[in-house]
Amino acid sequence: MIVLLEAKKLRHTGYFPAFLGGTALAAAIPPIHMSVRSDTFTAQPGDPFRILTDANWQLMTMLNLFLVICCTCMMYYTEFADNGAQKMETLPVTESRLFCAKLLLFLSCIAVMLLLETIVLALCGKYWFADYEMRLSALLKTCGFSFAAALPTVILMLLFASVCKNMWVSLGIGVLFMFTCSMFPKDSLFFSLCPFNSPYLTFAELADAETQRRFLSACAAESVLFLAVKLLMIKLRRCFS
Amino acid sequence: MNFLCLIGAERKKLRRTHIFLLLLLPVVFLWIPGIIHADINFDRRGIPITPEKNFFIQGFMGMAWFMIPASLVICTILLIQTERSQRGMLKMLSLPVNMAVLNLTKFTMLLCLLAVQMVLSVGAYYLSALAASKLQHYNLLLEPLYVIRTTAQIYAGAVPVAAVFWMLAVWIRTPVLSAGIGLISIVPSVLIIQSKFFYLFPASYPFYLLMVAYGKAAKGIFHTTVKWLPLLPATILITLAALALSCLRFGASDRKG
Repeated sequence: MIVLLEAKKLRHTGYFPAFLGGTALAAAIPPIHMSVRSDTFTAQPGDPFRILTDANWQLMTMLNLFLVICCTCMMYYTEFADNGAQKMETLPVTESRLFCAKLLLFLSCIAVMLLLETIVLALCGKYWFADYEMRLSALLKTCGFSFAAALPTVILMLLFASVCKNMWVSLGIGVLFMFTCSMFPKDSLFFSLCPFNSPYLTFAELADAETQRRFLSACAAESVLFLAVKLLMIKLRRCFS
Repeated sequence: MNFLCLIGAERKKLRRTHIFLLLLLPVVFLWIPGIIHADINFDRRGIPITPEKNFFIQGFMGMAWFMIPASLVICTILLIQTERSQRGMLKMLSLPVNMAVLNLTKFTMLLCLLAVQMVLSVGAYYLSALAASKLQHYNLLLEPLYVIRTTAQIYAGAVPVAAVFWMLAVWIRTPVLSAGIGLISIVPSVLIIQSKFFYLFPASYPFYLLMVAYGKAAKGIFHTTVKWLPLLPATILITLAALALSCLRFGASDRKG
């Protein structure tokens, strides 16, 4: 119910067009890339889906991250503009429920986005590679992994957006984090676990089941930590306002 | 109210916005890895470049490619939002202020904020070059004239993109779209500077100019001269068109009520 209400608030803010536009742009990268340089990729040995993600996922994730930063800022911008948040406080809605509703709405958008992008990657594989066979379970696994990897970043960004009353501050912090994290060395697992860095990783890149399990549990732990920080901040809000 | 008076008013509005901190932090974060990994500047990998120029250009790359457009997006949001919250624009409309002049004032403030960031980054460069020199026992400092000239070139290259972002922020009232377009335009500039039509894409100018400086310092990496002929007219045309369009629309939606 409250999730629907949140969706209604965002209807006139350009949030959904921005989401669709961003997703379309990110999903357009693999077909464009393939149509320009298809020979280089089809000649490579190995799993076609892996080749496609290796070639495109970095750029797609960068677009996705920008979309996450903009859209999370927008979600709380509707609250802080014209003192909407103050009005919400007089209603029988707790702040934590509001946060969870926004998070739920945002995560469902992210799920749709990642699903569409995975489908496009798979279709590209089907179209350009003769030996690619589409397996639904593998696609769902990849998509689910990307979703889990994006989770800490999304929660942290929504946390920033909910704390900063001015949109440029949360936007600035988001861009700053993205910029700083992108300068960390890419080859170590520890640095790729940082929020804003973990979405760049793909399922195929992690070698064995043990590393995958470790990576996923670390993402889950980060997500729980950020959620706990948010809930704690709501409890201690007198210290912050 | 004249232009200078309006500049003073805008400066006052910016006082409590934390924008200077937001401009300073990326500059600091940019150079920390540069100091830590200063030894890689000596590993040339066959590129004929001196370590001191390598240190400067590698450090500024993140700045020219990512941080300048991103800072511009943040600053445009800030300058637009100072009027939009609490119906500030309506109050401005009731004052004897020409909307086009106010628009140009805000654009000047945008350029000033970027100039502050460039000055900060030159300062940060010298501090980090000093620290890295001490660590590596090698003088990594470049002469100030070269550093300032290159930075000024990058700054001048950022003016058209500032005008375009400002126009987008004025025309598109929903900040998510204008900020989104601005941020997304960062992504392809690495590819675009290598194409023939880079001059049609203002977000790539700062990075292009830095890459030309790289090409000058290390032969064979990139072009050694700026292709002024399509670039300069395109720059002027884009800047003027964007400014004219933003003047046309600034405050229009509030005027209708």
